[in-house]
Amino acid sequence: MKFTLSWLSTFVSVDDISPEALAEKLTMLGLEVDAVTPLYQGLEQIVTAKVLSVTKHPNADRLTLCQVDTGEETVQIVCGAPNVREGLVTALARPGTRLPDGMKIKKAKVRGEQSLGMLCSARELGLSEDHSGIMELDKSLTAGISLTQALDLDDTMIEVDLTPNRPDCASVLGIAREVAGFTGQHLRMPVTEVPELDSGSSDFSVTIEEPALCPRYTARKLTNVTIGPSPWWLQRQLLAVGMRPINTIVDITNFVMLEYGQPLHAFDWNKIRDGKIVVRCPGKDETEFDTLDGTCRTLQPDMLMICDGKGPVAVAGVMGGLHSEVTDNTTEVLLESACFNPISIRRTARRLNLPSEASYRFERGVDPDISLAAMERAVQLMIDIAGAVVCDGGVDEYPGQKELRTIDLRPTRVCNLLGMELSAKEITDYLQAIEFGVTGNGEQALRVVVPSFRPDVEREIDLVEEIARLVGYNDIPTTMPLIRMDYPVRDELRELRKEISTVCTGQGFFEAINYSFVDEKHLDRMGLAGDDPRRRVTRLLNPLTEEQAVMRSMLLPSLLENVGRNINYQQPDLRLFEIGKIFLQHEKGEQPEEKYQLCAVCTGARYPGASPMYFSGQQADFFDIKGLLDVIIVSLRLSGRETPLEFVAAVDKEHPYIAPASGLSLVDDEKEIARIGRVKPEVLRAIGIKQPVYFLECDLQQLNALPRAQKQFVSIPKYPMMKRDIALLVPEEVPAGELLKAVKGQRAELVESVDIFDVYSGKPIESGMKSVALSVTYRSPKKTLDDVTVDNIHEKIVQYLMTEFGGRYREGIK
Amino acid sequence: MEQELTRLREEARAALAEVTDSAGLEPFRVQYLGRKGGALTTVMRRLANVPKEERPRLGALANTVKKEITALLEQKKQSLASEQAAVNCTDGLDLSLPGRRLPVGKLHPVTQVMEEICSIFEGLGFAVAEGPDVETDHYNFEALNIPKHHPARDMHDTFYVSDSILLRTHTSPMQARIMENQEPPLRYIAPGKVYRCDSDITHTPMFVQVEGFLVDRQVSFADLKGVLTSFLHRMFSDDLAVRFRPSFFPFTEPSAEVDIACVICGGKGCRVCKRTGWIEILGSGLIDPEVMKMVGYDPDEYSGFAFGLGVERIAMLKYGIDDIRLYYENDLRFLSQF
Repeated sequence: MKFTLSWLSTFVSVDDISPEALAEKLTMLGLEVDAVTPLYQGLEQIVTAKVLSVTKHPNADRLTLCQVDTGEETVQIVCGAPNVREGLVTALARPGTRLPDGMKIKKAKVRGEQSLGMLCSARELGLSEDHSGIMELDKSLTAGISLTQALDLDDTMIEVDLTPNRPDCASVLGIAREVAGFTGQHLRMPVTEVPELDSGSSDFSVTIEEPALCPRYTARKLTNVTIGPSPWWLQRQLLAVGMRPINTIVDITNFVMLEYGQPLHAFDWNKIRDGKIVVRCPGKDETEFDTLDGTCRTLQPDMLMICDGKGPVAVAGVMGGLHSEVTDNTTEVLLESACFNPISIRRTARRLNLPSEASYRFERGVDPDISLAAMERAVQLMIDIAGAVVCDGGVDEYPGQKELRTIDLRPTRVCNLLGMELSAKEITDYLQAIEFGVTGNGEQALRVVVPSFRPDVEREIDLVEEIARLVGYNDIPTTMPLIRMDYPVRDELRELRKEISTVCTGQGFFEAINYSFVDEKHLDRMGLAGDDPRRRVTRLLNPLTEEQAVMRSMLLPSLLENVGRNINYQQPDLRLFEIGKIFLQHEKGEQPEEKYQLCAVCTGARYPGASPMYFSGQQADFFDIKGLLDVIIVSLRLSGRETPLEFVAAVDKEHPYIAPASGLSLVDDEKEIARIGRVKPEVLRAIGIKQPVYFLECDLQQLNALPRAQKQFVSIPKYPMMKRDIALLVPEEVPAGELLKAVKGQRAELVESVDIFDVYSGKPIESGMKSVALSVTYRSPKKTLDDVTVDNIHEKIVQYLMTEFGGRYREGIK
Repeated sequence: MEQELTRLREEARAALAEVTDSAGLEPFRVQYLGRKGGALTTVMRRLANVPKEERPRLGALANTVKKEITALLEQKKQSLASEQAAVNCTDGLDLSLPGRRLPVGKLHPVTQVMEEICSIFEGLGFAVAEGPDVETDHYNFEALNIPKHHPARDMHDTFYVSDSILLRTHTSPMQARIMENQEPPLRYIAPGKVYRCDSDITHTPMFVQVEGFLVDRQVSFADLKGVLTSFLHRMFSDDLAVRFRPSFFPFTEPSAEVDIACVICGGKGCRVCKRTGWIEILGSGLIDPEVMKMVGYDPDEYSGFAFGLGVERIAMLKYGIDDIRLYYENDLRFLSQF
């Protein structure tokens, strides 16, 4: 809502308060001021000037030489405007002044003739869009006074960001009421001398067929209307708040709407058939309607329309019709001032995608009690400005008339809710200042009568809020609540997410956060099968773009995009992780399942951030991502439910984005907990990534369900350990991990640990075989082991491995 | 002779200080302590010629001086030796070379700020609860006193999944969900992602919000001011100016926006605060009695307050981030700064 101080001051004096202080006060009352803009800046140096004589320019057909009285002297100015003539008082920019668009006026020679300034159009001065000629000012103005003074341009525009609960303040009058409230003034209402509405019979009728949707409809007929441009004082108010002046009638309806908050509509009387106005919904065959913006609209059966004897002439409260619009030829006008149901208007404006100044107000609630006064104000202006004659009579149908609302207000309730002491007298004073009626002394509840312009005040709590804002929020005390202690419940999954984040950052991974909605094409790119559960996505009805059209069912695609983007930004060494929700739509029309997942990726140098002096040439590989998973398992002390957690080969078919034979699943007794692998190069290429990327995907609900090993102290071994190494040649296809498992399975009570310290194939080892070097640590909890014992056990283990895996000693090493 | 001894002591001390390497130690020793012609030795030899009654005193003095010089020499020897050892063991290593750094990751700034917010409220005894991102119209709107066709729905540009299912536009649905199932006293915060179909320089279609509420008997607007003021003081600084001003939210009444003195310009007025000196940081209010009634609470018995804040906005203010779009691009040059 925008208004000017000059407009506001017709209702209430603001002489004693600066625009900034006024803005601050309004903001603290809940009318948040967005902008305080001084108007017509830079026009102080433009002056009035009188054209004394006009002669043709000797060297140019379209130009004239004007002798102009600047108030100080007479100067010659070259002018090209069609309306320049002797005796005209207009606006002059003298050399050295700057126009609002930044243009600097200089002494000049125009086609050989001297010109000491420029006569200006309204557009050149930023006053309006009019550029048909130079400004035509009041002839009585003397030359040489500043234009700011001559046109009374010293003004400020204030813009308030209205909350939806204050429809009353979508008007200059409403703002003025608030100002009157805190400055202790009475409103000065405009005087109208319009003959009373019911002073005679009228030659038209109004029928409201939908009284629930139209609580009030008032209308009057005016004749002898002159359509033309509005006077400057009216135009400038409309221009200042961003509305384009059109003609007297339209401008007056707009002006009164802004002033009173009551949308008005003027019909061309001669287009209203049968002299009838019917407020009804469209009939079966009334399916289309041309609104005055020249668009054909499709009507729905429940949209409220204003109709004449034959058919619709306006979409009630939203926009008038093209055919009944006021035009330059209009001489008789039917003026409507009505009130409509907010929900109905909102629905219609939405469906027609036609938000208007009128619908904005009706949606929020227009005071039905203002209809008549607003109409009279407009009629008076039409008489004054457009030379209109108002016809006797008129119509005021008010089926929705209600008594003013009364609310009981308990002063104790006010005090308890605000946390401060206020007497009944103080409460009464606050409410009365903004035109609420209050009776009672407060021993029982006060009885409060709510004025009709405050439809938002319906309950006791609404009055509490009124009092709070009138007291001033910052004058309410600041205290801490007294509340019984209790121990807040902890969300386990949230704790787990924190633990994992700590592990991941500790392992050098940066946390990423991506949008929850993605492009459905991601899933194609990942190569998911048509029946993959991750294909059951939750789709948005109104996405901003196709790239954000479905809720993600996996995290990896977004992280791969992050990798691609970072590589493009010359950052190829990356470790990223994200913990976020995925969404799986199991049943149509229901909320999807939401599951927290962890996804991590690594690519490029193994030690990003380290000086190139160290670790040079080391690139991340599969075992870096496997290492991350290992560390998570160790840090969280995760153990399997029945059997220990195990890695098994990932099923490539189910996860077609894993490079062939390059993935593992971490399983707990067949149930997949996490998945790691190398991303298939084709998938990467589609995103423009040429380097290998390794990923980890983990379901946090599953992870959370795993039991954690208790922290249980075990005595530190008293006896020394002994180490024995084995270097075995085994067939290439034997996984080294199987050797480890096999060793652990043998004489477990004495084998403390086994490590692989080398794997090698190639010359001089024969093809099809590889060398695996293991180091076994033996220790007994009961005694110091001797060489003989250890050698015996070790020999047995070696023999076992050789038979089990078809291996033999590597030559030269025993 | 006494004077001579004292002089010798000072002279030796000065001479020793001049010695800079172990090669200089032997000539020093010879000069002062040498058996043949060392300065001190020479003086001590003359002790025999001193009168008998003076001899014990001067003898003792001479011994003391000798011991002192010997001790100083030993000290010097060791300090020179350890200097030499240091040089030997670094083997000429250039210690200015960079450390061998293992990679270190960091949490996303939004997570960092969110955790900070949560921990302040957890310190005040608030519990943390989370709810679904894909919400029903009922919990997102209806239960919060925002019926269909209410103009307040304009404040929420909503992504819909179906007529009755949507992406939550705030985390306030948790308020209704929790109150439905529990009895006061209640203290909760609900952090999470929220969604609005709005995307430009100052808006991303997804952002992170923390909403919170407290319900008990006799909770007042003054209490709301107290809790939120102390939160903001912990979050920013203890002397931060805070102001409350009336606003409108359908689920609170009275409603308040909370402003803090602009942390960029200190309240003088700048681009960030639109020259007002204030920055809007929180929405809040007493929980509307309608919301209470919908979950079966008697609004005459219980009262409470609720609030909500945007995490990105606080991160922007705390870290001086000037482009909201950076948050979700996950550019390492951004992530590594916090």
